[in-house]
Amino acid sequence: MHPIQRPDRRASGTGKTPHPDVEFEFDRTWVDELAERAARNGPWDDWTLFALAVEAERAKLVTSFDELQALRCLPAFEPMPHQIATARKVLHEMGGRAILADEVGLGKTIEAGLILKEYIVRGLVRRALILVPASLVLQWVRELNQKFGIPATAQKKAHSWHSDFVVASLDTAKREPHRELLLSNDYDMLIVDEAHKLKNKKTSNYQFIQQLRKKYCLLLTATPVQNDMDELFNLITLLKPGQLGGQSDFAANFVADKRLPKNEDRLQEALSAVMIRNRRSDGGISFTKRIVRNIEVKLSPEEKALYDAVTGFVRQRYDESGRDLASMLSLITLQREVCSSRDAVFLTLVNLFKKTAEDSPMRSKIWELVEFIRRIQANSKAEKALEIIRTTNDKTIIFTEYRATQEYLLQFLKQHGIHAVPYRGGMNRGKKDWMMDLFRGRAQVLVATEAGGEGINLQFCHHMINFDLPWNPMRVEQRIGRVHRLGQTNDVKIYNLYTTGTIEEHIVRLLHEKINLFEMVVGELDDILERLEREEQPLEQRLARLVLESDGDADIRRGIDALGRSINRLRADAKRSPKSSLDSVLPVLSVVPDGADAAAEARP
Amino acid sequence: MNAKQIHRFVERYLEATGCTILEKSPVHFKVKLSPAADRELTNRPYYWSFVDRTGVEPETMSLLLVTDAAKYDAMTAEAESAGAGAGGPQGGAAEQAGMAALSRSFGFVPTGLGTRMPRDDLHFGSRRLEQLFAAARRGGRFVCLFQQPDERALHPYDSAPCTPWLGVNVKVGFVCDMKREEMHAFGVSLATGTVVERFFDRLQGLKLSPRLPANVHVTGASLSLKKAADLIEQALLQKLKTYDYGWAAAANERLKEELARLAHYYEPLLKETDDKQREQIAAQYEARKEEILWQLKPRVVTEIVNAGVFHLSGLA
Repeated sequence: MHPIQRPDRRASGTGKTPHPDVEFEFDRTWVDELAERAARNGPWDDWTLFALAVEAERAKLVTSFDELQALRCLPAFEPMPHQIATARKVLHEMGGRAILADEVGLGKTIEAGLILKEYIVRGLVRRALILVPASLVLQWVRELNQKFGIPATAQKKAHSWHSDFVVASLDTAKREPHRELLLSNDYDMLIVDEAHKLKNKKTSNYQFIQQLRKKYCLLLTATPVQNDMDELFNLITLLKPGQLGGQSDFAANFVADKRLPKNEDRLQEALSAVMIRNRRSDGGISFTKRIVRNIEVKLSPEEKALYDAVTGFVRQRYDESGRDLASMLSLITLQREVCSSRDAVFLTLVNLFKKTAEDSPMRSKIWELVEFIRRIQANSKAEKALEIIRTTNDKTIIFTEYRATQEYLLQFLKQHGIHAVPYRGGMNRGKKDWMMDLFRGRAQVLVATEAGGEGINLQFCHHMINFDLPWNPMRVEQRIGRVHRLGQTNDVKIYNLYTTGTIEEHIVRLLHEKINLFEMVVGELDDILERLEREEQPLEQRLARLVLESDGDADIRRGIDALGRSINRLRADAKRSPKSSLDSVLPVLSVVPDGADAAAEARP
Repeated sequence: MNAKQIHRFVERYLEATGCTILEKSPVHFKVKLSPAADRELTNRPYYWSFVDRTGVEPETMSLLLVTDAAKYDAMTAEAESAGAGAGGPQGGAAEQAGMAALSRSFGFVPTGLGTRMPRDDLHFGSRRLEQLFAAARRGGRFVCLFQQPDERALHPYDSAPCTPWLGVNVKVGFVCDMKREEMHAFGVSLATGTVVERFFDRLQGLKLSPRLPANVHVTGASLSLKKAADLIEQALLQKLKTYDYGWAAAANERLKEELARLAHYYEPLLKETDDKQREQIAAQYEARKEEILWQLKPRVVTEIVNAGVFHLSGLA
């Protein structure tokens, strides 16, 4: 706020020094002003304020090199032990230059905030630049302000660059005229979130970050290695050139193959000086439990009739098309939608109707299906959902895949006197935040179609209804991850609604009973699905084929069992073999302390 | 600083700047700021430049400063339940919605824009307290004070001599990539050049006034302020020479390692590449070296917190 001087920059060196190992500078900026005031006999300041100034400086004094000062400034919030341990390591052993590579959901933002705060308190950082994806700018600003009391501002206009703590999107920052302005500045600290965007040294992102002048630097990414070893080299070179040797040393010493490291021990040692990676599976990081309940919903005769009619229609089309899965996409959607709501089916049918030629025999068949829709009076699933909401009588999030179902549910809940708000991918940032505010406040229910993307952190809610289940397990996991994350203090209750006698019943069985999805950790699932894809088709396609080609229920059941078996086999493989990628090197970089240690460290 | 110390600090600041305390308890103040304090604390430069140009009567802001949030909340909750329903916070919901809307477009709204009596919790490290610290520092940089003589001891027609001293509070930082700090208070007699330490603590025990008391005369200063500053620098250097600089040696060691690592990376690279690229790489190399020096170079820096001329009768 008042740039008196910047005493942290290198001392100019007057030649006098108390010890040959240090430079020394004596502040003389005050002598002239005091002399001038004395000559003019004033104006003089107030003695009480003079004394208060000394008292304030004494209170702020950083009396030790080691102890974390930031902790005594954060009464409103208590970081987790692994976050404190990470901050400590970055400050004391890494000199403030590090890659924070924790797995998703362990609080990299908190760690970065803690480190930044500590340097600010110590007077070592006065200006910081924080570059993040555009969608995360406001979230960062909010976290830094609310959790850490750091007066960060979002970059909106040209003049916001002059604030001491600016959060901006990397894409904006690297463009002119911003680029030139930023390159002309010195930043005490640079933080880059989602730093895996800096893996290719030929990109403008990389070159821009390389050119920025910074003292301390934090790169945040959950996936430090995605494809090949060169990415790792580039990322680390950005932070500390030479840490892994020159490019040719690196290739000779550490690379067996594009994707395969060698001399793992030495590599790990070199990495541990610049990278920290905490994992969920490490001790000391505890999550609350997930309690999964599968709720059976019996279709009404009318709904069952529609389901059968749609299934028959879809299979007939499939057979007519010569069993070509690629041309079946919209029809498979139809098959999935029929388990969700008649509204969703109707919308797709209308679109299908518009697309078919006027004289096509398809048209009359579609009309027949619409007739089935017309006969349906109530949505059995929605009533079940309502029942759950009424019994929990608490904040609840409902996920559905379909926009039409979402609209229907909002309407339905409103009719029954429950305040519900929507959330979907297509909303702009402001509207999304607005819906979040409403849900945090008066609304009891959030009906969401989108689970991916950051920004929906719903720790305050611990009831979740899967109104329909996506066929892609990753999407299920993403949904759960919104609610079941660090900071969630309650056990999370997950209700999966499934309709009996439909494909849904099988999907729930596969995800829950066969592969036990709900208890897997994120990284594990990812790995297995990738393997599955490498060997055969993606899971979604295999499910589609199963539905379209099986002869009756027993046949589907056999297919699902087989699928479950092959997934579990892959899972066993994954556990047995050392992982193909660099992940074998990364896990040991965790800083999670022992239990006793952690408790002692929480507050000095 | 604990809650009590903060409370005392705030109280003294408000009194010193002439603010009107509307209501107070051991855990809070409701205060109408004085113009001087308003300028320092409310961050309204446009408003104040408007007042200065047009000469209108300024309307200063009122603040609720809470020095112990937990106790204050308990206190207000109790008061509320006692006078149940007696005019609860009307329009609270609308206000909240307004704040939420602002925070959507700015990411964050500092508490108390728009509300009439914004509340600030003054825990250590909070922004408002930081602001008070900074305001105290800006408002208390240079003083000139006279020691009040003990009236009973003095004959009414006598004139007591008093000697001018330069008093300086200096913060010393031991900096590499980390930092440790110390505060020192030096005093130099402008008559004799005697240097003493812990000068500020001595001052605190004395009765000091900005005006020359009636029966006191000031003896001449033989030292200029510049010369006195030199003496303080010398004294500080002498003191610092007795310290342990193991941390600096370690930092230099790390610095050397880092520079060697850089050289190992860049020097072969410089040899391999052609002229055009070499320039770019050389520039990058230089920039990295600069950064590492900036980050690691051990140094002892000083910062004068404030300074003053003190006319003291007790000391020579």
